Amino acid sequence: MATLLVLILLLPLAGGVVNACFGNRLPRPVPVFIATGSVIGSFLACVGSVTAAAGDGYRLTLFTWLQSGNFTADVGLLFDPLAAVMALMVTGVASLIHLYAAGYMEEDPDQTRFFALLNLFVFAMLTIVLADNLLLLFLGWEGVGFCSYGLIGFWYSKKENADAGRKAFIVTRIGDLFFAAALLWLFALFGTIGIEVINGRAGELAGTTTVTLLALLLLLGACGKSAQLPLMTWLPDAMAGPTPVSALIHAATMVTAGVYLLCRLFPLVSLSPLAMAAIALVGVATALYAATCALAQHEIKRVLAYSTMSQVGYMFLAVGLGSVSAAMFHLITHAFFKALLFMTAGCLINLAGHENDIRRMGGMRQRSQAVFWLFSAGLVCLAGAPLTSGFFSKDLILATAFAKGDLFHQGLYGLGVLTAALTSFYCFRLAYLVFGGDFRGEELPHAPHALMLWPLLPLAVLGLGAGLLNLPHLLGGHSWLSGWLAREEDILHLSLDTEYLLVATAVGVFVLGWLAAHLRYRRFREHEPRGLRQFLLQGWNFDALFARVLVRPFRAAGRFCSHGIETGVIEGLLAGCAATCVSWGQRLRTLADGRVNHYLYGLLWGMLLIVGWFLLRAVVS
Amino acid sequence: MLATDFSILSLLLWLPVAGALVCLVTGSRAPSVPRWIALVTAVLVLVGALLLMLVHDRSGGWMLLEDRTWIEAFGIRYTLGLDGISLLLIVLTAFMQVMAVLVSWRQDKAPQVFFALLLVLETAVIGVLLALDLILFYLFWELMLIPMFFLIGIWGYERRFYAAVKFFLFTLVGSLCLLLAVIGLYLLHGAQTGVYTFALEALKQTELSAGQELLFFLCFMAAFAVKVPLFPFHSWLPDAHAEGPPAGSVDLAGLLLKTGVYGMIRFAFPLFPAAAQKFLPVLAVLALVGLFYAAWVAFSQLDIKRIVAYSSISHLGFVILGLAAWNQIAVEGSLLLMVNHAITTGGMFAAIAMIQLRTGTRDLNQLGGLWKSQPNLAAFFLLFSMASLGLPGLANFAGEILILIGVFSVKPLWALFAVGGILMSAVYTLRMVQGTLWGASCEPFDRRDLDAREWGILIPLALLVVLLGCYPQPLLDVLREPVSALLLTGGQP
Repeated sequence: MATLLVLILLLPLAGGVVNACFGNRLPRPVPVFIATGSVIGSFLACVGSVTAAAGDGYRLTLFTWLQSGNFTADVGLLFDPLAAVMALMVTGVASLIHLYAAGYMEEDPDQTRFFALLNLFVFAMLTIVLADNLLLLFLGWEGVGFCSYGLIGFWYSKKENADAGRKAFIVTRIGDLFFAAALLWLFALFGTIGIEVINGRAGELAGTTTVTLLALLLLLGACGKSAQLPLMTWLPDAMAGPTPVSALIHAATMVTAGVYLLCRLFPLVSLSPLAMAAIALVGVATALYAATCALAQHEIKRVLAYSTMSQVGYMFLAVGLGSVSAAMFHLITHAFFKALLFMTAGCLINLAGHENDIRRMGGMRQRSQAVFWLFSAGLVCLAGAPLTSGFFSKDLILATAFAKGDLFHQGLYGLGVLTAALTSFYCFRLAYLVFGGDFRGEELPHAPHALMLWPLLPLAVLGLGAGLLNLPHLLGGHSWLSGWLAREEDILHLSLDTEYLLVATAVGVFVLGWLAAHLRYRRFREHEPRGLRQFLLQGWNFDALFARVLVRPFRAAGRFCSHGIETGVIEGLLAGCAATCVSWGQRLRTLADGRVNHYLYGLLWGMLLIVGWFLLRAVVS
Repeated sequence: MLATDFSILSLLLWLPVAGALVCLVTGSRAPSVPRWIALVTAVLVLVGALLLMLVHDRSGGWMLLEDRTWIEAFGIRYTLGLDGISLLLIVLTAFMQVMAVLVSWRQDKAPQVFFALLLVLETAVIGVLLALDLILFYLFWELMLIPMFFLIGIWGYERRFYAAVKFFLFTLVGSLCLLLAVIGLYLLHGAQTGVYTFALEALKQTELSAGQELLFFLCFMAAFAVKVPLFPFHSWLPDAHAEGPPAGSVDLAGLLLKTGVYGMIRFAFPLFPAAAQKFLPVLAVLALVGLFYAAWVAFSQLDIKRIVAYSSISHLGFVILGLAAWNQIAVEGSLLLMVNHAITTGGMFAAIAMIQLRTGTRDLNQLGGLWKSQPNLAAFFLLFSMASLGLPGLANFAGEILILIGVFSVKPLWALFAVGGILMSAVYTLRMVQGTLWGASCEPFDRRDLDAREWGILIPLALLVVLLGCYPQPLLDVLREPVSALLLTGGQP
């Protein structure tokens, strides 16, 4: 079992390292085989070892990474039910995305670098998932950040791409700082960074401010990686990366790492009601914010990016409500249908002749039936059509909020439902703009590679059917996921009336959103983005705000330090010292002007002084 | 302790000087000979140091000690001692020296003198790391200046003379304070005990009033703080880096800066523990200010060598912060970061030299898109940059996190500030990477990627960066006992 577990991590790492070091010397398809094979191998290893995770889980310590004083960080794995579910999802989706990428990147001259980074990403992500201590988790945490940086800016010749990568790195790193602070504090409190020990001993902190602050630090850390308010501005820009990257990193895995972190440390986080409320609020606020932004976007991938942000917001809401299984359920279903959506969007962009803008698409169904059906499958999941996986997982979160009963949670429920309506609306807006009417662009289609279609089929099936994972009792299910995660307390026991009411509401907002989109976008009308539309298109102008409030002062401080203090004060002082020395030297130099009579005067005065001194001494004594 | 007549330490110490003499003698006839002699000598020293690493025992005391009378009239002795800390730094020195020789392989301006000076510099640094007699230490300390002065002043770029003089004056002023304090301490000790000696162990026993102790401590620290360099005594370093030859930069970053920190922990803290303990908060504040200040200045630079120079100041701020925390984890972290920083920054400077060779510039506005023309070189540059911004799994992070943990246990607020420094390093490093590797290609006039010699330089550095990031434990094991011994002598907070 240990071998299989190590293989889960080692295969993607080895694939990445081999490709990074020797990929360019290997004949053309070999790096792709290595990359894809290693991830599929990792998936198989995951499947093979999943039984070990049942119940209490499986632990494995490989070696000591850092040991000093009373601080120890091992490279150790904790393969418990939560980690197993996540690892299965990550490796499974990553395998399909690697297959897709093999087709997508077929003609790219630099595909070795792409696959090396993609493999390293999978390794780093699995490190987050499997790490048994916070420092190793942090290694993965920063590792995915680096890979995301390298992959967003993959087509680096265009400055905007590289800039988007840098923005993602720096904004997420702001979140990482809070995570690091939490890590330091936790070590100071418990003398260890082992996740299990911290969770086990977290109860000691119950009711203290410390635990609230810790949970808030972790929340901020999670916000960075998961693109939640206020650290969300990087995600839409990250769409500059190749589409498989958007599907893997910015939809299915990395952006959900924050949710996973909060779930991993849930026993600690859940001790603070205040922090839980904050998590729920951040979640619902982001969900609503991103949904409104998605309404106005022009680029197909940006619509999906905002929808990702919004759906991750739901997951945060679920964590804030105290339902780990609802969060993980939505995380998994979302991973399936969002990866599907991104990859079909890649096909659509190809079919539209490398056109991103949905205003210049339309009539895409004529160009490919298969893509139409696949994209629709993803969209209905996202919109929450009844019986799709997205319907069940979103509904579970909303029902949990509703079931809490108090006013605060009713409010959260209300906002969640509003967001669901908006989601349905922008999904069908997208559908009508992309498939409705006739093609509005000029480009000829560029048929997608067969490898870009087949891996999507399993994802579509999973997206439509993954609701079975946690089917509620109402529909004859057994809430399998909650049971597997040993989170029976997450299972709702509502009266039938309430259940039907909630389901009816969910179906209602779905239909409402569809109807509204049907009325508005059935026929294409071009609008200049102005006023509110422009405001939403720009993501509520947060970029401009941050540029003014953070970036500009930062640059000014840099200029002040380098020009004001460094060259001004410090160099100025030094130059002043030097100039004083030189001028004194010059003045003294005039004494030695080579005229004998001046020297003789000097001699005379000197003699007089000395003699005078001795006389004075003689008189005084 | 091994006590043998055959003195391994002296052999190790004077081997480079012997090599330097051979360089001078043979070099005038065949210009390609000196570099081979330098390389062989440097490799021999490295092998010797590594052998010592293998045989050393890990009990806290001196592993090797050599003690001879030298100038009896003044009680000056020739005392060399090796413990875990100096051993580790000597291995580092020897390794970086091999890199420095390889980096300047194509040096054709008076190569015999150039390589001889490099080797003399190595002896001086090893001497500093071994000497246990204060006069002997001072001599080696000053000896470091001379070869470096000429290396910058003769083999540097346009403003080399300015940079060399600035370097010399800065460090000389610091060193003079040190000399005065050493003599003062010697006289006081002699007056108290009747035994006039410069031996470190004896001088530790000197009874000092609080005022005297603080004064001496500050004099010692003046010399060391300039060398580190600690804010605000840093302004010589960017010039020395920017104007110095590539090997000079590698040696500055890899060897010279380390001697400042070494001086603090070997001499300043153990000799004046009470003053040191009082001074720790000041040290921490200077370190923290320097950490942010240098990062901000780095952010506004255009010359990539200057960016790396300021990043050195910023990282050394981290190191000093770890010292200021004065506990096992933080000090081990500081020493580890020092080693890691040397390797990372050495790699950076080597890569920058190769970039400059191909593009003829180090200006961020003119560089760009190097990944297109030189993917291999660019990949190494990226790796070192990532290590420098503290990516976990690469070298610097291991030291930084230990420092943060150690500092947090004493002064949580300091650690929280320092965490912010990690963000700063990302900001300026990514700006540099952005301007160098990405964007439109700057069309270098030499489009060749790495040649065999350059691979030979970058691969060992890159391997070490990864290895020290993933498995720094052997180094920490070497440091454990000496550091806990040091913490005992350096006083308790």
